[in-house]
Amino acid sequence: MSEEKREIAEGHTAEDLMASIRENIRACMQCGTCTGSCGSAFAMDLTPRQMWRMIQLGLVDEILASRTFSLCSSCYYCTLRCPRGLPLTETIHALKQLAVAKGLAEKKGARFYQTFLETVRRYGRVREMELMARYFLIMKSPVLPLRFTPLGMRLMMKGKVSPEMPKFFGSGKLDAIFRKVKELEARS
Amino acid sequence: MRKKIGSALVVGAGISGIRSALDLAELGYQVKLIDRAPNLGGTLAQLDYQFPTDHCGMCKMLPLVERDSASQFCLRKGLFHENIDIMLNTELVQMEGEPGKFEVTLRQRPAVVDPELCIGCGECSRVCPVEVADEFNAGLAKRKAVYLPVPHNIPNNYVVDLDSCTLCGECEKICPTGAIDFRWEARRQFRILVVDDELIVRDSLKDWLIEEGFDVETAESGPDALDKIAKQAYHLMLLDIKMPEMDGVEVLKRSKDMRPDLPVVMMTAYATVETAVEAMKIGALDYLMKPFDPDTLVPLVIKLYENLERAGEFTMEVGAVILAAGFDSFDPAGKGSNTYGYGEIPNVVTSIEFERIVSGTGPYHGKLVRPSDGKEIRKVAWLQCVGSRDMHADADYCSSVCCMFSVKEALLAKERSNGQVEATIFYMDMRTFGKDFQRYRDKAEKEYGVSFQRGRVHSVELKQLGGDPTIVYMDIDGTAHEEVFDLVVLAAGQRPPAGSDLLAEMTGVDLNQWGFCQLQPFSLSCTSRDGVYAAGSFSGLRDISESVIQASSASLQASRLIHSKGGGLAEASESEVAFRDVSREPPQVMVALCTCGDSLAQAAHLDEVEAFVSDLDYVSQVHRFESICTQEGWSQLEEAMEENGANRLLIGACMPYVYTRKLRDLGAKIGLNPALMEVVDIRTSVFPGNNFSQEQASREIRLALAMGVGKLKGMDPSLSAATPIVQKALVVGGGIAGMTSALGIAEHGFEVFLVEKAEELGGNLRRLYRTLEGNPPQELLEQTISKIQKHPKIHLYTNAKVLHSHGRVGCFITTIEKEDGSGETLEHGVTILATGGKEATTESYGYGQSESIVTQHQLEEQLHSGQINPAELGAVVMIQCVDSREEPRNYCSRICCSSALKNSLYLKEQNPEMNVYILYRDIMAYGFMETYYTQARQAGVIFIQYDVDKKPKVTVENGGVSTVVTDPILGREVMLEPDLLVLSTGVAADGQGQLAEIFGVETNQDGFFQEAEYKWRPVDFLQEGIFTCGMCHSPRNITESIAMAEATAQRALRILATMRVTAGSIVAEVRHVLCSLCEKCIEACPYGARWRDDDEGKIMVDELSCQGCGSCAAVCPNSASVLRGYRDQQIFSVIEGALEEIF
Repeated sequence: MSEEKREIAEGHTAEDLMASIRENIRACMQCGTCTGSCGSAFAMDLTPRQMWRMIQLGLVDEILASRTFSLCSSCYYCTLRCPRGLPLTETIHALKQLAVAKGLAEKKGARFYQTFLETVRRYGRVREMELMARYFLIMKSPVLPLRFTPLGMRLMMKGKVSPEMPKFFGSGKLDAIFRKVKELEARS
Repeated sequence: MRKKIGSALVVGAGISGIRSALDLAELGYQVKLIDRAPNLGGTLAQLDYQFPTDHCGMCKMLPLVERDSASQFCLRKGLFHENIDIMLNTELVQMEGEPGKFEVTLRQRPAVVDPELCIGCGECSRVCPVEVADEFNAGLAKRKAVYLPVPHNIPNNYVVDLDSCTLCGECEKICPTGAIDFRWEARRQFRILVVDDELIVRDSLKDWLIEEGFDVETAESGPDALDKIAKQAYHLMLLDIKMPEMDGVEVLKRSKDMRPDLPVVMMTAYATVETAVEAMKIGALDYLMKPFDPDTLVPLVIKLYENLERAGEFTMEVGAVILAAGFDSFDPAGKGSNTYGYGEIPNVVTSIEFERIVSGTGPYHGKLVRPSDGKEIRKVAWLQCVGSRDMHADADYCSSVCCMFSVKEALLAKERSNGQVEATIFYMDMRTFGKDFQRYRDKAEKEYGVSFQRGRVHSVELKQLGGDPTIVYMDIDGTAHEEVFDLVVLAAGQRPPAGSDLLAEMTGVDLNQWGFCQLQPFSLSCTSRDGVYAAGSFSGLRDISESVIQASSASLQASRLIHSKGGGLAEASESEVAFRDVSREPPQVMVALCTCGDSLAQAAHLDEVEAFVSDLDYVSQVHRFESICTQEGWSQLEEAMEENGANRLLIGACMPYVYTRKLRDLGAKIGLNPALMEVVDIRTSVFPGNNFSQEQASREIRLALAMGVGKLKGMDPSLSAATPIVQKALVVGGGIAGMTSALGIAEHGFEVFLVEKAEELGGNLRRLYRTLEGNPPQELLEQTISKIQKHPKIHLYTNAKVLHSHGRVGCFITTIEKEDGSGETLEHGVTILATGGKEATTESYGYGQSESIVTQHQLEEQLHSGQINPAELGAVVMIQCVDSREEPRNYCSRICCSSALKNSLYLKEQNPEMNVYILYRDIMAYGFMETYYTQARQAGVIFIQYDVDKKPKVTVENGGVSTVVTDPILGREVMLEPDLLVLSTGVAADGQGQLAEIFGVETNQDGFFQEAEYKWRPVDFLQEGIFTCGMCHSPRNITESIAMAEATAQRALRILATMRVTAGSIVAEVRHVLCSLCEKCIEACPYGARWRDDDEGKIMVDELSCQGCGSCAAVCPNSASVLRGYRDQQIFSVIEGALEEIF
């Protein structure tokens, strides 16, 4: 996202986003179903229940400083099970947007997503090898590739990723969608 | 005997229906009590143990006055009252007319087993080849297709479940009394014509329907069908629409010309549904959709057949209708995702199933073993709010009762296993809002070690095939736990009963958004239709106590209506039955033996039995009758009794319990006290299953008869005295409860003295300006006061107080001090205490130190007066459970959470920018109040939960208030600086102690009045004739107080309604010469029927209050206290009779 865009987002969108996030979560009664259901909870620093509580109490900065929302894998278990019927996964998406809008997306989770989307936009699908290469470049960390080596080897042995690049079959075809999303984001 | 004009219909014979029916019957109305189930008792039949005593006590609902009008034994087994006519397997199918004069049509499913003939021997069930899941044991056991719906019912008739019956006819063949009749004949005479151009359709329909016993013919085309119709009459035509030559609609039209009465059902494919609908407009009865499936088509045709034959349908007129249709349990495996794996993972059960597991009459005889493998249960989890408080299950409401029954089940499990069972309850809010609930919960936690885990469990998993159910949950600080349990119990919530929409449509009552009956403002029994009242869980989620109160409220409303339409109570004609005085005659026992056709003679040596009985002392004669249960047999017996002048009657027959009413009628006819008649069972001993030889059977019969004679010959022949009743009531307390109660009584034409200590009527209601539901309390107050002031039968005393009272039920004498200081003595038959409670005072949380700290009541008043302006408030903090739910005031005040919700919603509405924080322990938003809790959350009210050992801290500095509370989710302290701190101090007793002394009643440890029995007699005191309602009994809201007040009026009316009340035939008495005045009997008497008369130096018994339980006789060291009907000599001769053969 360009610097210019971020400015606009911060001035206007962040507040709106925050309002809708609070609105979504108001009826939460802290029963903990979401947290119990969350497949990623083990890795989170705040539990989802704590995060909702913080939204209610207005502690947004702390949430954005945490990694909880960026670890959400969008499995929708929490939304499906929430006895209050709250749109929890959507709210997490909104939090992710908020983090981006606030320019707090410098963290690796957000960078990963950005890189991921970038490859999708370019080629119409993910090319794992390129994705990782770009990710490592952005992160500018020399040790990072080493940490992923064992996982990469295992995936390659099982044929889950291939060092060969697949063809550019969707090049440029998704540009329109991405443009539209950006437009919508700017407007909301 | 009371006979009144007017009758009522009670739909549903669960606990509420039984209560309503008994209430109205006790007032003298004729009651028709129906239930679609084959058994009485509703859900209660399955529950053996009830909170808080952990046993049953249903029998306590039986009439206490005129108790001989009902048979007196376990109410779970059966109900017999002379004014109640019970019809099971029966549904209301039509209701017309107007309040006070409804015409109702009832349909009873034709019984395959004739209840009049069935003797419950069980042979049919033995030979039945079908086995299906047993509903009584919640599917944990198997039953046959012909079975006993409730194993302990009396009379216990077998019923046939036609859905699972294969119609093999084995039971019909083996039944010894010919009670089973599948009515093949009737079906065989029902001719069906199937018209279809396709051979396969014709043939399969024919096969299916012939198998069901119908007479079926087929026609392959329209003209063919018309030919057949012309020749012969049919009872039903199944007609295809799309046929070559002539289509179905044309055939229909022509057939209507030829035989206008022939019912026609169209058969259609999906494509021609519209044509079928058209056909219905020109006279088709219904349509069936192709393709056909025998499992759905056959029952449809059978239903049509039953509808057409109008089997078991009849119409009657009633003044009022009470709907006590009950509830259905939420099915966790039904609609939705079934995340708990109910029905899929073994050992995941519902609460009802668990009740059956621990029940002594259950499939495991009360042993704590698992359904799947019989393994001993050692670790159990209860999951709350299954299907409640869940938007996904379309339930934005709380089912109100599950918290307490889960605690009860956990306690039972602990007790059953000597504490071995590890019990954990997973909950969101533990809703212990009723009287004594909180202490019960604390007992479970602290004394029994039941673990309470706050947090909703989302799913139950199976980690490995054949393993145990596993639960993953997060505790409050976010740590994940994975635990394996032997058994997981789902506290399934409640749903409206199946078919409630139809019932509502038929009776014209509105349902609320979740399908429960919608009640009128400030009433727990009035529906949108005048003359139709609701009782029990049909209008939403009630425990036994509340259901009983609500049922009595409904019966009061019904009675009020019938009374106002001329079916009056006061107009009751009293026909006093004069019994012959036989006390100076020697006992002469006539023995009547029912030979049950000739089956008894085949099974036993009757001549020998007769000879034996004739030889017994005091037996004047022995008669044999073929079947006493028939009208004919009974008249023969009556004649014999009239002719021979015997003064005792012993009947040897089957099912002694059905004779109560017959004996009373006989007594009235021949002028003999029915207490001098006895029925003994001589039939069970010759049941085929016993395999007794003729000698053995004869011996059993001889013993039964000898014992009966033994009991009768020693029976005290003196007559029970009738006590005159002062037909006036005293109501103490002029709040909404007292006023409602006074009106309820006065509107039945009886005088009421209403005594209020304050200058004005209204009590606490004067200080309430809004309700959570938005109904205006001040309007209610105004209307009620004006009714009171206008009513000619109500004598109002304001600024008055009660000084002294004495007397017993029927005649109390009370002195009051009036406004001007003068005294007045009032005579009244009943007393109602409705003195209310008050908002508790507090010194906690800085109350009194700042003007910014107020109570909920003060907040409401100041908002009303304008002293507090919501626009000026930036933040408000409310603290719940101030000084309550912990010793010494360890009870929930029930109304504070709703007050906090009401006030916070109002504040938010007035000023949405305001921050409102509610610091709570458990939000008691029971029932439909839950939806307001959701609304408050949605409105942005922040709820912070706190623990009792980590209470919020309040500091007051320079008039500013700040609060620090620990948020358990984040584990951090939150500091709040509100402009206003509101304390929910709850309700405290208000001078009940003094009144209790004056009226000789009890208070509980919190100073509230102590009712006779929390669940079954919630508005009675132990002392008969004194009742309590409203907040002096326990905290409750306006509507609940009104319902309770109506219940007390109802309870009072059953005494006031007659000039004289006769004591039961079995009552205790004192032989004063033997009495040492040790007063042990006074302590032992559970009904407060005994007292020491110091003037006479005697122990006295109030015969009206005495229920003949015999506790006094058991504790009396001198045998001075005796029970009429169970004197020592009598019991000895019964024992002698039993042992005669041996010695």
